[in-house]
Amino acid sequence: MSDQLRSFLFAAATCLVCTISLTAASTGLKGFQQKNMAVDRQKNILKAAGLIDENAGYTYEQINQLYADNIKCIWVDSKGSIIEKGQKAKRELPIYIYIKNGRIESYILPINSRGLWGRIFGYLALKNDGSTIAGFTVYKHSETPGLGGEVEKRWFQKNFEGKKVVDRTGSFLSISIAKGDVKDTVPKDKRINYVDGISGATLTGKYLSSGLKDILLEYEPVSLKFRTKKLLRLTAGQKSCPVRKDK
Amino acid sequence: MKITHTRHFKAFSEPLINSNPVFIQMLGICSALAVTVQLKTAIVMGLSLTFVLAFSNLIISMLRKVIPRNIRMIVELSVIATLVILADEVLRAFLYDISKQLSVFVGLIITNCIVMGRAETFALGNPPSLSFLDGLGNGAGYGSVLVAVAFIRELLGSGKLFGFGVIPNSFYNAGYENMGFMLLAPAAFIIIGLLVWLQKTIAHSS
Repeated sequence: MSDQLRSFLFAAATCLVCTISLTAASTGLKGFQQKNMAVDRQKNILKAAGLIDENAGYTYEQINQLYADNIKCIWVDSKGSIIEKGQKAKRELPIYIYIKNGRIESYILPINSRGLWGRIFGYLALKNDGSTIAGFTVYKHSETPGLGGEVEKRWFQKNFEGKKVVDRTGSFLSISIAKGDVKDTVPKDKRINYVDGISGATLTGKYLSSGLKDILLEYEPVSLKFRTKKLLRLTAGQKSCPVRKDK
Repeated sequence: MKITHTRHFKAFSEPLINSNPVFIQMLGICSALAVTVQLKTAIVMGLSLTFVLAFSNLIISMLRKVIPRNIRMIVELSVIATLVILADEVLRAFLYDISKQLSVFVGLIITNCIVMGRAETFALGNPPSLSFLDGLGNGAGYGSVLVAVAFIRELLGSGKLFGFGVIPNSFYNAGYENMGFMLLAPAAFIIIGLLVWLQKTIAHSS
């Protein structure tokens, strides 16, 4: 057998063995991985709604149970009316609803915003007054770890809680990420609409701010209903729903 | 014969200090910059690299007599890449939270020069048991440097260790501030440089 043929056969055999072992690992572990990702998204929804404690550990079953017990989901059209899924409305917007004692406690918007290096996926929960932020989480992003990647950290997300998406007169303003600390860079009367920025990640903050604004604007008709107390409870018995995959 | 004088023990202990991959051979610097902002990621990264290094050394050493010389680097690389992806998949399936924190760095083990370096210089010329121990030793040597750098960076950069605050609030009230510079890559360069200096001074005087 010539040397060349031997090299060629050896390379082919190596490829085959590597491919088979990787395929086996990927197929065999896929179930676990998908389960992890689904639970991770559920966990982030619950975290945004303030239903779980950051530091405590939860089993899959506990997360599933909490999610099934508290979270329902609805679809709205661009005017903010509740529609059935697949009604062929121009825009179908999903909303997760946290129901407490039969009333809507908060509503949670899926976030899919531009970041510096890729999309940022997360959830933004708003209280039933339609203007106060209950929580913000990020479950997937491609920002630089240690810089823009800090968006997934508790210290950053905590700053959103209690901030408003409206100004003092009650008209829509969105929530923005300041460049630096809010107390140093934003005038006193506007601080309620800003959260502390991440040093070294000005662009991530800029893109996330504008992404959040776009999403909040899209959902503004629904928020308006909450602000004017037209939406307090769900009429039909909405079922618990699976978490949507990010696109 | 004392255990410290066996070839197997030396294969493991040499790379820990005397021929440490980062300090002496100056390999793996790039990943040492990236994952050392926090201790937790540094430790998992050290463990993942040790796993990949030990098993790539083992497999390549077992194949050393049959690998055709003209394609040996490609073969080594496929073995390494396969092991790295395996490690990544397993982390994603069973340690999802940590794997999320490490993000791309596990995948980047493929490009870590230490792995290829040990395969070329050691595994190709030594029996499997020695190569395996050499892999473990180099992994541990690399990991210990990561932990040392991460300890300094996390402590000075964010005032924490393993994510828990260790700098008392009274320090902050007195005007102490975390060094934001420590969170940036150049800080790791400087720390590694200082550690190399320290290591060489100690080695020289003894």
